Amino acid sequence: MTRSNTPSKWPSRFWVTAVLFLSVVGPGIITANVDNDAGGIYTYSLAGARFGYTLLWTLVPITVALVVTQEMVARMGAVTGKGLADLIREEYGFRITFLLMTCLLVADLGNTVAEFAGLASGAAALHISRFISVPLGALFVWLLVVRGTYRIVERVFLVACFFYVSYLLSGFLAHPDWSLALVSTVKPTVSFDRASIYMIIGLVGTTIAPWMQFYLQSAVVEKRVTVSQYAYSRWDVIIGCIITDVVAFFIIVACAATLYVTGHHDVRNAADAAVALRPLAGRAASILFAFGLCNASLFSASILPLATAYYVCEGLGFEAGIDQRVHEAPVFYTLYTGLIACGALTVLLIPERMQVPIILLSQVANGVLLPFVLIFMLRLCNREDLMGAHRNTKPLNIIAWTSSVLMIGMTLVLVFLSFGPTP
Amino acid sequence: MIYFTELDHLPAFDVKGVFLGQLVDLGINPIRNSSRVEEYLIETPGRERLVIPHVQMQAISNRALQAGQVAREVLGTPNDALIRVKKDVLDQQIIDVNSRKVVRVTDVVFEIEPSERHSHLRLVAVDVGAAAGVRRLLQGLLAKHRIRVVSGIFQARVIPWEFVNLIEPDPARRLRLRISYDRLAALHPADLADILEELSPDEQRAVIESLDDETAAHALAEVPDKVRMALLEQFPADKAADLIEEMPPDEAADALQSLAPAKSAEVLAGMEREEAQEMRGLLGFDAKTAGGMMTTECVIVRPEATVADGVEALRAFEGDLDEVDRLFLTDAEGILRGMVRLARLLLARPEEALESLATPPVATVPAHADIRTVLGLFYKYSLLVLPVTDDHDRLLGVITADDAIEHTQ
Repeated sequence: MTRSNTPSKWPSRFWVTAVLFLSVVGPGIITANVDNDAGGIYTYSLAGARFGYTLLWTLVPITVALVVTQEMVARMGAVTGKGLADLIREEYGFRITFLLMTCLLVADLGNTVAEFAGLASGAAALHISRFISVPLGALFVWLLVVRGTYRIVERVFLVACFFYVSYLLSGFLAHPDWSLALVSTVKPTVSFDRASIYMIIGLVGTTIAPWMQFYLQSAVVEKRVTVSQYAYSRWDVIIGCIITDVVAFFIIVACAATLYVTGHHDVRNAADAAVALRPLAGRAASILFAFGLCNASLFSASILPLATAYYVCEGLGFEAGIDQRVHEAPVFYTLYTGLIACGALTVLLIPERMQVPIILLSQVANGVLLPFVLIFMLRLCNREDLMGAHRNTKPLNIIAWTSSVLMIGMTLVLVFLSFGPTP
Repeated sequence: MIYFTELDHLPAFDVKGVFLGQLVDLGINPIRNSSRVEEYLIETPGRERLVIPHVQMQAISNRALQAGQVAREVLGTPNDALIRVKKDVLDQQIIDVNSRKVVRVTDVVFEIEPSERHSHLRLVAVDVGAAAGVRRLLQGLLAKHRIRVVSGIFQARVIPWEFVNLIEPDPARRLRLRISYDRLAALHPADLADILEELSPDEQRAVIESLDDETAAHALAEVPDKVRMALLEQFPADKAADLIEEMPPDEAADALQSLAPAKSAEVLAGMEREEAQEMRGLLGFDAKTAGGMMTTECVIVRPEATVADGVEALRAFEGDLDEVDRLFLTDAEGILRGMVRLARLLLARPEEALESLATPPVATVPAHADIRTVLGLFYKYSLLVLPVTDDHDRLLGVITADDAIEHTQ
């Protein structure tokens, strides 16, 4: 085929590209957005409330690290057609896989509890009782996956991604100093006081979680993205990561323009930030902020159990997938149901201060797992017999190893810090 | 009976009792014997790899291996013509031909067969159950007899080796290892399609390539559109054309429609003229209408023809005879006049006119009718086939009940 550069061809080629892109879009955007879950929103709110615009620059390297790691797993999914847990089992054997899966299960159970807690507090900020929001939310996400097909579930998730726009709106409503915000984003300012270093570690540490790698790769496989379509899938990943950090930018900006400026430096959780916004940025901004929190929590409360069910089944050799019927993949659906039920019931029945150890345990499990997962990923992505011509190039390896080592370090520090008193 | 988890890392000694090293893998040569362990791969304390051929293996127990005099053959490159139990079987996905499932192997079961001067191992089954998982977890942490007791509490799911089909995407190695998917050809296309769905793209291609075109096409007709599209895109146009030609026309048209326009044109060009013509006709219809659901594979004769002519038409019919249960009678304009069930044909005298045996069609449907209308007619009249006509009542094709059922999901 000869390439035509006549201008009249452009619109048709644009549409062909658009259709091809739309056929693979989803996994990357969804995975990256879930990164802004209840915990993420809290961290960004805190960064804005305590340090104003000064830490905005960290979002740029965070985005790069996120893109690099997510791109690798998406590529592995497209090239091998297998999930990350499948590959780890095939290359590293049963015992390692089993231990990894058990830790992930613990980590994700804790995370799910945290997401439902986020939903409860977000709804409380909107004056909805947790005894209404949590059971309804749990029922909704459960029915969605058990009754829906992959296509439907993915569309609902994409709609959930769209609702993150509420953070953009609340950012605008807060009337921030845009020029200062933009300058702070591109111009790094490092101050070596303890508090701001802790904050930076917190920001980086929440960026990449082990479950994301598994979910993204499984979703790429279930969507049956092929090597020839991969170029479009990569854009899905890149756009997803950028959207995620744009949302993070607006959360920080909203809190910086209001809470920081008025000296309201202490935020206990994400819902607290929403409530604090009310007198400063108006009722609409506060409602949008709380709504965003509910959306993000519910969204993550579905994806986390889903991801867990995927990789536990893959790794241990059970059938998995939203497109399977319940009787075809009993373990998959049992895990999904069990995690949601445990998460929701814990939030409803156990008092808040007793939930803290569970959430803490999951943070520790995540921190311990992350090095293993990232190193397995990097090694698998360099295997010629698996990846062929699509294995990592040298420059990519340098960036990937550097950012992985940094993230592993920061995440481990964060885990240790979470046991100590907050500065 | 002995498990691979019990054999793994067994110490091996030579005839004088000198420690040679630990067992790290077992090799089976499928050309010589499909289940006997041919080579024992030993790792020496110096990290060297030794191979002990099976004829030199004198005694095997769950405590140690005892090799004969000439036990040393240092290994250069691994022998690619062997199935390696640890590398190729353990933790890999296999096809369980008997229960028609894709499963992952957790442990491998052997039988020790002692004879006069030496004993050998025979691979009898793979274990995919929870018990095997427990053995893998506890391997090396507890005494072997304790592990047996603990794992005995859990369920074993054992698949006999003769029902195990390994999956090897590399065609050259597949040939060397004598891996074929012949046994899969005997499965129902829908079962085969379920198996295909579980595999990665490379593995799907491996299975499709090694099946004959007809079997492969029938399986492909059953897999979800997206899987089929991805698979057909991978094949060169002529192979894709061969596969699509073997599919029922309606499925073939769907398959062509799902391909990228350039590829679809290429495939059409690679098809035989008659079939390509038929495809072009079907491609004109929207997949969500009666025209898109119908097949053009039906036996059509003139009303004035005799029973003998009808039988002749059946003989000359090139499509799938198993799908045919009646003849369609059309006049010179191609307008449907009636249908003759095969049972009637069977009982009638050869010179009888078909017209006298015919029953008028209960219902027909125009090609542009939507799926709902089609299904409505099937339900209302309990139809087996529904003729599809154009605006001038000319017969275009038929929708069979099984195609209609597919659209109810």
